[in-house]
Amino acid sequence: MSETENMIVLEAVEKVYPGSTAPAVERLDMTIPKGEIVMLIGPSGCGKTTTLKMVNRLIEPTSGRIILDGEDVTDVNGDLLRRKIGYVIQQGGLFPHFSIADNIGVVPKMLGWDKNKIRERADELLHLVGLEPSTYRDRYPRQLSGGQQQRVGVARALAADPPVMLMDEPFGAIDPITRDRLQDEFLEIQRTVGKTICFVTHDLQEAVKLGDRIAVFATGGRLAQYDDPDTVLTHPADDFVSDFVGGGAAVRRLSLLELSRLELHPVETDVAAVGNQNGTPVAEVDGAGRPVSWRHLPDRDAAGTALVTVPLSGTVYDAVDVMLDGSASLVAVVDDEGLPQGVLHWNDLVAGLKTRERER
Amino acid sequence: MNVFQYFAENSTQIINLTIQHAQFVFYCVAIGSIISIAIGLLVSTGEPNPNRFSFDWWATGIREGSLLITAAVLTIPSLALFVLFLPITGLGVTTAIIVLTIYTLYTVLRNTVAGLTAVDRSVLESARGLGYGRVRRLLTIQLPLAWPVILNGIRVTTLISISIAVVASIVQGPGLGKLLLTGITRIGASNAFPQVLIGTVMCLVVAAFFEIIFAIVQRLTIPRGIRV
Ligand SMILES: Nc1ncnc2c1ncn2[C@@H]1O[C@H](COP(=O)(O)OP(=O)(O)OP(=O)(O)O)[C@@H](O)[C@H]1O
Ligand SMILES: [Mg+2]
Repeated sequence: MSETENMIVLEAVEKVYPGSTAPAVERLDMTIPKGEIVMLIGPSGCGKTTTLKMVNRLIEPTSGRIILDGEDVTDVNGDLLRRKIGYVIQQGGLFPHFSIADNIGVVPKMLGWDKNKIRERADELLHLVGLEPSTYRDRYPRQLSGGQQQRVGVARALAADPPVMLMDEPFGAIDPITRDRLQDEFLEIQRTVGKTICFVTHDLQEAVKLGDRIAVFATGGRLAQYDDPDTVLTHPADDFVSDFVGGGAAVRRLSLLELSRLELHPVETDVAAVGNQNGTPVAEVDGAGRPVSWRHLPDRDAAGTALVTVPLSGTVYDAVDVMLDGSASLVAVVDDEGLPQGVLHWNDLVAGLKTRERER
Repeated sequence: MNVFQYFAENSTQIINLTIQHAQFVFYCVAIGSIISIAIGLLVSTGEPNPNRFSFDWWATGIREGSLLITAAVLTIPSLALFVLFLPITGLGVTTAIIVLTIYTLYTVLRNTVAGLTAVDRSVLESARGLGYGRVRRLLTIQLPLAWPVILNGIRVTTLISISIAVVASIVQGPGLGKLLLTGITRIGASNAFPQVLIGTVMCLVVAAFFEIIFAIVQRLTIPRGIRV
């Protein structure tokens, strides 16, 4: 891999806080490729925040080098460096005396952008994070809910279009349902902006859902494993990681597997196929071609089985969820238009899921 | 002579003294506030992480030291402090302004320090994370957010100063003290009571005037996002 394909390179970076003898982060080597989301996870006090803040030099490393997009930034002016790196923290940290639009515009303003351009950018970003600009741009932070403030925090970090974003438990203080929605939106936004993101969390579920890679830190600031989520769950590097990942890794892995990556069983919608002997289920469809009930199921009473569906964009976890919910032993996987693309059987889960090669 | 008669006959002088009193207080509070806010800003930059021990120790020292001194001064009876300055600056307006200004320092300094350090850590940290330098952070984030508290300190110090200013007349300072002191020293004489009463009432008028000014200033200068 050539030098320029890595956005962030940490070389033997170490932090020993004044007055303490043990390092908070111990000789860390880490390489983050362009456009990837890296999740930093580990028990409390293991140095996640310290690591994150050394990337934008909010905390000065005791030793080691930090290379950003091929440039050694270990000794450059910290304030100027930070204007080129997005930064989002748990409490949002919006400026209470600035309107939402002004909050989003702080970095562009420091960079000397033109007023109109700043305003347009604020509107564009409010849109991106799902807040209607005309409603929200002139409000003040205290007039927004916690979740909305967090979205503005993300918008503010994106304002000057920095290639790198650092996020310290951005969704940590938000209720589970809103958090789930923010995570989905976050992935959606990332598909558009393609930033290189360092994201601290202590929620393994979140790490698995959002991360291209996961960095598991052990107590004492040691990087215990740095791998893609699948590998961390299935092949923990050491006892610490396997303890940390804990039981239930197999279940968690379900949420990693996208249905679009699976070899699904075929499904028929043609009435003529009823009674076929090759085991293909036949669904009855409505005018738009969407399945509504089963006409025929191999070795089963079709009328007694509810037809449940799950979108192709979902994960195996979602499929299991709807099957349990509908007491159905199979689920129809549908595309964006609701047209059936295949079925997944309960038995497939234990028989082993066949995946197709991932296209990237 | 009754109070109303006295007022009618001396209205010009009384009104002049009242205006003088308000000006006297205004100048001293203005000078004192500028000094206090400047010191406050200098010593409370509120670094989110104390990596730079040297500066913080230095700043903490000055902060605690100046708070201690200004607080101690506040406990000296004003009568004594005015007289103590006589050998240095003599009789007159200069001594009056210097001493009253000294009395205004503590409250504003205390409130400035309290206001600046009470600014939400997460706000300061995100400002730093977005590339705000120390000075920019202090002037565009901390100061506006601390302003309601600072302004309240100025208001309290103004009220206290209105009564301390009266004492300044013993060093021939300006203001209503002249009227009050004349009355007090000649208690029992025919005009003494009206002088004391009118002096007192006029002090209240000055206080009411400043309260109105502060209500307006508050309205105009506290940022909309943090107005309660
Ligand atoms: N400013 C500081 N001075 C001294 N020690 C510090 C400082 N900040 C953090 N530490 C110590 O460094 C270690 C790592 O702290 P850090 O904040 O990076 O942990 P973390 O992984 O982010 O934890 P959490 O999940 O609780 O946020 C801790 O032991 C902490 O006590
Ligand atoms: Mg942390």
